[in-house]
Amino acid sequence: MTDALVADVLFGAFALGSVITGWRVFRTDSMMRAAFFLLASFAAVGGMLVILGAEFLGMVLILMMAGEMLVMAIVMVMFMMNPAGLNPMWMVHQHRVAVAAGVSSFLAIASLGFLVDFREDPNVQPEMATVELGIELLGDSMLVFQTAGVLLLATMIGAVAIASSRGRFGAAEEGSEEPALDPEDRAAS
Amino acid sequence: MITVEFVLIVAGALFGVGVYGALSQQSFVMLMMGLELMINGAILALVGFWAFSAGGNPQGQMLAIVFMTVMAVEMAIGFTLVTNVYRVRRADITEKLRRLRG
Amino acid sequence: MRPAAPLELAVPLVGIVVVIGVYVVAVLDQAISELVGGGTLRWRRVAFDPLRSAAHLVTQQRRTTERPDTPGWILAPALLSALAALALAMVPLGPTTVAADPETGFVVFSAAIAFVMIAVYLHGWSPNSLFALHGAYRFGAQALSLQIPFLLAMLATTLPAESLSIVDIVQAQESLWNVVRQPLGLPLYLVVGVGASFWGPMNLPDAADLAGGTGVEDSGVARLLWKSARSAMLVAVAAMGATGFLGGWWGPWLPGAVWVILKTLVLLVVLIAAGHLFARVRVEAFVVVAWALLIPLALLNIFVSGAVLL
Repeated sequence: MTDALVADVLFGAFALGSVITGWRVFRTDSMMRAAFFLLASFAAVGGMLVILGAEFLGMVLILMMAGEMLVMAIVMVMFMMNPAGLNPMWMVHQHRVAVAAGVSSFLAIASLGFLVDFREDPNVQPEMATVELGIELLGDSMLVFQTAGVLLLATMIGAVAIASSRGRFGAAEEGSEEPALDPEDRAAS
Repeated sequence: MITVEFVLIVAGALFGVGVYGALSQQSFVMLMMGLELMINGAILALVGFWAFSAGGNPQGQMLAIVFMTVMAVEMAIGFTLVTNVYRVRRADITEKLRRLRG
Repeated sequence: MRPAAPLELAVPLVGIVVVIGVYVVAVLDQAISELVGGGTLRWRRVAFDPLRSAAHLVTQQRRTTERPDTPGWILAPALLSALAALALAMVPLGPTTVAADPETGFVVFSAAIAFVMIAVYLHGWSPNSLFALHGAYRFGAQALSLQIPFLLAMLATTLPAESLSIVDIVQAQESLWNVVRQPLGLPLYLVVGVGASFWGPMNLPDAADLAGGTGVEDSGVARLLWKSARSAMLVAVAAMGATGFLGGWWGPWLPGAVWVILKTLVLLVVLIAAGHLFARVRVEAFVVVAWALLIPLALLNIFVSGAVLL
């Protein structure tokens, strides 16, 4: 088996795996399995990215998704009434609209490949991809990189601030109340 | 066999499943799983274009990193808002949020 | 991707290394616990007790719980063993003797450590048991807090190498080992390595105060597999520490592979001794330490090594 044939077979297997596990996310009863099916879908996409030549991106995607899907599983258990799938569950609304939208978006994107004449400019040096990304990241696209870093920092601070049970006006368990809007009432309270 | 058309078909399938999930699921967390799948498909399509039509231009990889950042931010803030909406309105599915002003 | 060893040779070799590593960890664990306890070291007992307990576990009666998540319960120790095998496959024994050398080896190793979280959480969720779930949640808090210090501590080793590949990281230590060049690196890596492979003081998911934590409902072969997978993960963490910080195969007189094994054994003794000498941390205090102390230390490590390189 040549390398190209192995790569093709693996790519096809990853492609089938990612779509099937992505579909199973919404069909399974157990919420925990839904979170881990999504993780499997992401891992398959990561594998596909590695085969396409973006090795760093694929492995970073897999690395990120492990942590994210753990958080997703924990939030599932927090908010879903049936996390273990001990009872069958079918919580959907506007089902036919959703199926129509899904199928039409798939057809729109898939037909793009056949209708548009894409430029034939393949990546001739996949082994330099990581080096070029590093140079680009800290060179021409430094501003984008810094902005992404600050954005993530702002997200962390904002998420902790919003989700903290000790809000701006005291702890939630102690019956926090905002101060009155009018200054006269505020002096009284 | 791996061509940009095949990559687009797979990316479109992932995106389509994501759109179905985002529109049809009542629970907030399942809805966010649909959004994740959509961004997944978008990243795959982007890297497909990068590998076949952009000649390995490193700015394509930079954009993919931006996509991943957006995905992380969306998940973090999304779960934060889900937590807060549950605290304020006791709502864990979208059907319970019928009025805009509580 | 660099050319790696042929698959038919690499997979059995890694498997043999995993099995030997698990046995060595069990022997060292017993030996160190006897030494710490002040008893005399009887070699025959220390060498054969792990085999005896393994045989006992294999013949033990299998128990199951009510409505467990059986595919997940089977998957969890298999996933942990696969991750340990993957991490061990990337440890180089020489400049060209390595089972797998991806160009981004550092990221692959970090992804393997991140997936340990998933394996432990699955292992705690699947038996549908209270203490198991409690252990899984504790590990969730511990491992999520340790992800960033782990990445930062190992990232500093890639700076002198100017490459993400593990072989390049070892090649760059030809003149000076990383433990001397980055003194903060190895202690930090040992702390986060112990945390990521949940051993000893950071054994929160399988804790004794949780009656065994995520492994509370395990019996028979499943219990043996989980313990073996944990030990294999510890061996992988020690081996990667030896390659990243102690210079891998570089050393006088002896062949490179022997040096790698010796350095791994040294780190294993340190990690297992830490398991017997330090008490288990409390999860609330540990999370604060991980975010507020370990991240600044790891960042300081990176700044200093970067400044030295510039």
